[in-house]
Amino acid sequence: MRHRAAYVAFDRFPSSKGSAVHIAQMADELFTRYGGGLLGVIGGGGLPRYQREGTREIARFDAPIPNLIDRAEAFSGWVADHLRPHWDTLEICHVRDPWSALPAVADGRRHTVVYEVNGLPSIEMSHTWPWAAPSTLGKIRELERFCLERSDAVVVPSRVIGAAVRERGVPRDRIHLVPNGADVPGETERPADAPKRYVVYVGAMQPWQGLDVLMRAFARLADLTDLRLVICASVPERRAKPVRRLAERLGVAERIDWRFTLPHHEVAAWLAHAEVSVAPLTGCARNLDQGCAPLKVIESMAAGVPVVASDLPAVRELMADGEHGRLVPADRPAELARAVRILLEYPREAAAMGRRGREHIEQSLTWARSRARLAEVYRTLTRVR
Amino acid sequence: MDAAGHGREEDQVTRCAVTTGFFVLGRCGRAAAVSCPQCGRPVCGDHAGPNGLCPECAAAQGYGTQDPHHPSWAGGYRRHYYRHSSQAYDDTYWYSSFDQYDRGAFNPGDDYSAGGWGPDDDTGFDTGFVDS
Repeated sequence: MRHRAAYVAFDRFPSSKGSAVHIAQMADELFTRYGGGLLGVIGGGGLPRYQREGTREIARFDAPIPNLIDRAEAFSGWVADHLRPHWDTLEICHVRDPWSALPAVADGRRHTVVYEVNGLPSIEMSHTWPWAAPSTLGKIRELERFCLERSDAVVVPSRVIGAAVRERGVPRDRIHLVPNGADVPGETERPADAPKRYVVYVGAMQPWQGLDVLMRAFARLADLTDLRLVICASVPERRAKPVRRLAERLGVAERIDWRFTLPHHEVAAWLAHAEVSVAPLTGCARNLDQGCAPLKVIESMAAGVPVVASDLPAVRELMADGEHGRLVPADRPAELARAVRILLEYPREAAAMGRRGREHIEQSLTWARSRARLAEVYRTLTRVR
Repeated sequence: MDAAGHGREEDQVTRCAVTTGFFVLGRCGRAAAVSCPQCGRPVCGDHAGPNGLCPECAAAQGYGTQDPHHPSWAGGYRRHYYRHSSQAYDDTYWYSSFDQYDRGAFNPGDDYSAGGWGPDDDTGFDTGFVDS
């Protein structure tokens, strides 16, 4: 099977992470336009190494290499091996990170490269890998710059990320904004084990997500004895250890219900029946300089639940304060707790915010719209060549 | 045969074990017609490729083996190496500039989870770079 299109991501697929939803939508659009294609992703954990679905082929890299840089480089080599059989037929290669991009932007290619920047490892890894030296991050930055420079188009999900990419020397006309989206769910059944009244957090556990701020805020809501916090973590249980320890220290552990790696449709039900959804992103370089487009905010609005989120430029692109929920200063547990309390005390206003949030998604942030914009990028590239 | 007996007979049908789906994965589950000559898994008529291969083995054939212990790996690798190494050495990016000090910071256990990668962890190497 020879393909005209390939989508490559150094990320596990499918998984319960937001990135997997994004990959599913973007890759589906690419393969629909090009009559199939090759999806190169991370596997392991029982996922088949190869899969064929009609004209689509999924190849999964599953070498158990402990060191992240070693693994990323091995992935790069693996991608090169997997693109090679398609080198003569490939018209477009869509990548999500520098290690996927490196083999795609190689000399002698005849295909176009679309580099989708959801984050910049040179910024993000300083948070997740605290021992990485500035000089190491500098090398990663150089790698990013090299791949971005050689890509034909750069797709970003938010204007803040667009600005970070421009800072790395990519001309404005090569950067295309394709916002994240959500599908508005229909009526969902209340999860059988859902508490009567709960605030929900959906997402991963990295330091920039602000779960420490959320724990401290929740400690300030101790007087609301019937209120529980439900955390639908998209990562395995072991990653929650530091947050759980903090919750115990703050005395809120008993009021928290944990759910790990739930399928996407179950998360939608937990969102829909919550009083409030929180996105306490911290004011760190990852969220401010690099930017983000948190799916949790978009999916919460799609589920019709009011959102209390940190007031960051990337979040302001998605929701308005007082309209779809409340925006509060980042890293301020007292402010976060106060905003949640106000929404709980004014349920009619909170419900109206939830409704307006859902309308906002229906009107401007659906996956159908995002995909149409991505299709336009592909069309433009085809015309240029 | 009574209804219960018929039910038991149905249970004994070997089902196609091919993984299907794109975002939500499942098993095909139709009655198997052949058994893949390479991996031995039962495959239905729709999923059986040329020579009765299952889709996973058929797709894998197109890319050569990735397992360095497989006998066919060394030949392919050597051929590829001689064909490409002259260009590759000119390209500093293929032979990365990350040294041991750079790599040292990315060992399991040094990350935010402090849990790290280990044999008891079925999702040990799932770390992507970004997670929106």
